[in-house]
Amino acid sequence: MFLLAAITGRYGEGESSDSALVERFLRKDVSAFEELYDRHSRVVYALVVRILQQGSTAEEVVQDVFLHLWRNAGQYQSSRGPFVPWLLTLARNRALDQLRLKSERQRRREDQTEEIPAIAQSPDYEKALDEKRRAERVRSLMGTLSAPQKKAIEMAYFEGLSHSEIAESLQEPLGTVKSWIRNGLLRLKEGLQTAS
Amino acid sequence: MSEHDQFRELIEAYALGALDASERAALEAHLASGCPECAKALEEARLVVTQLAYLAPPAEPSDMLRARVLRSVRADAAASAGGGGGSLPMQAGGPQRSSVPMWLWAGVAALLLVSVYSTWEARKMQTDIAEMTQHESAELKERQKLQDELTTAKHEAMILSDPASHKIMIMPNDKDMPKVEAMWHAKLGIYLTAQQMPMPKNNKVLQLWLIPKTPGAKPMPSQVFWPDANGKIGEMVANPPEDMAETKALAITEEPAGGSPQPTSTPMWVGGVS
Repeated sequence: MFLLAAITGRYGEGESSDSALVERFLRKDVSAFEELYDRHSRVVYALVVRILQQGSTAEEVVQDVFLHLWRNAGQYQSSRGPFVPWLLTLARNRALDQLRLKSERQRRREDQTEEIPAIAQSPDYEKALDEKRRAERVRSLMGTLSAPQKKAIEMAYFEGLSHSEIAESLQEPLGTVKSWIRNGLLRLKEGLQTAS
Repeated sequence: MSEHDQFRELIEAYALGALDASERAALEAHLASGCPECAKALEEARLVVTQLAYLAPPAEPSDMLRARVLRSVRADAAASAGGGGGSLPMQAGGPQRSSVPMWLWAGVAALLLVSVYSTWEARKMQTDIAEMTQHESAELKERQKLQDELTTAKHEAMILSDPASHKIMIMPNDKDMPKVEAMWHAKLGIYLTAQQMPMPKNNKVLQLWLIPKTPGAKPMPSQVFWPDANGKIGEMVANPPEDMAETKALAITEEPAGGSPQPTSTPMWVGGVS
């Protein structure tokens, strides 16, 4: 029910909440954008490096992500979900596009057609945990999964592979891979809920 | 199990982007039919999926990246703030019945309209030019990227076909592992190939090292790479030392994501450069 009541916490004193910053940023306030960049560029960069495994290309993608964010500020609507998951979804999509471009010579999607789907709303998200604690929590929950289950989820998330591709790569039955992924994500969701 | 339940079981994988095409199409059709329970479950699943980003090993973007991003943003902000207002100074003295004839007022009004229209037109033109420049720059970037890829592909082909290239077999320590073949061309680079290469575990990557002949010299870090989903490697290493004579061997280790300045593990593959 309160899925992301789990992902709560507080910013330090004197820090604005993301939603207050985002409101200012949507009005094209450069200082608000700067603060959002300083607050979230590390996790965005880490995600993109993990997907692309190359620092220089990752920097290009991160630059694209943040400039896209600034130039298409209207694409983010707070009614469709909290800001950080939206930003991470944008970054993951861009990085996976880049990965596919490398392996399949596939053209990247155009800016205009990019639409981030709605993500569950959480009134508590803006009081988000700092990134370090959030990472510790997610890692600890993922640590409760079996090694192949974790591997299958990571291959889907960081490499953009489908059930069939993962099953082929790991040489496991398709049904097994499907169960690993579904049960793993359900356990992560449950863990996030009970941790709140 | 009802049809709805079957779709419900696909939601998590859909949010992760792991469904195969047929299942994805079927679920999208079900969602388009307006199932509120599945729509809500999907939003929640998407939120859980975004948390997986925090599994990525910590990494710090460079200060140069920050400077580049903020410079572009400030330039954009300055461009969109430019132009200024166009209000006319008002005549002091309060409303008075003017003795100016109506035809003159009509002329002034017409001039004002023309002036407002011209300002609007100029601003629109500025915006159009800015957008065109932006598109042009994106297209140039894309073209450059394709050009780079084409150049790399040409280099790969030349390295593989040029008799001046030297073949080096990089042998695994573990007999169950595949061999890696390196074709070294003094001018064009090194091209690494392998088949059925296992994916490094624990988020690690493979890294190539050039072991110098000079006694006591440290291994030179080179390309970071990893196999594709089918275990294939086809990696171009640009700018190797021109003189192979200075290199004793090529070695490959497993390293943390992003690579290391010095090897952190024992080489898993080594090949002597003769």
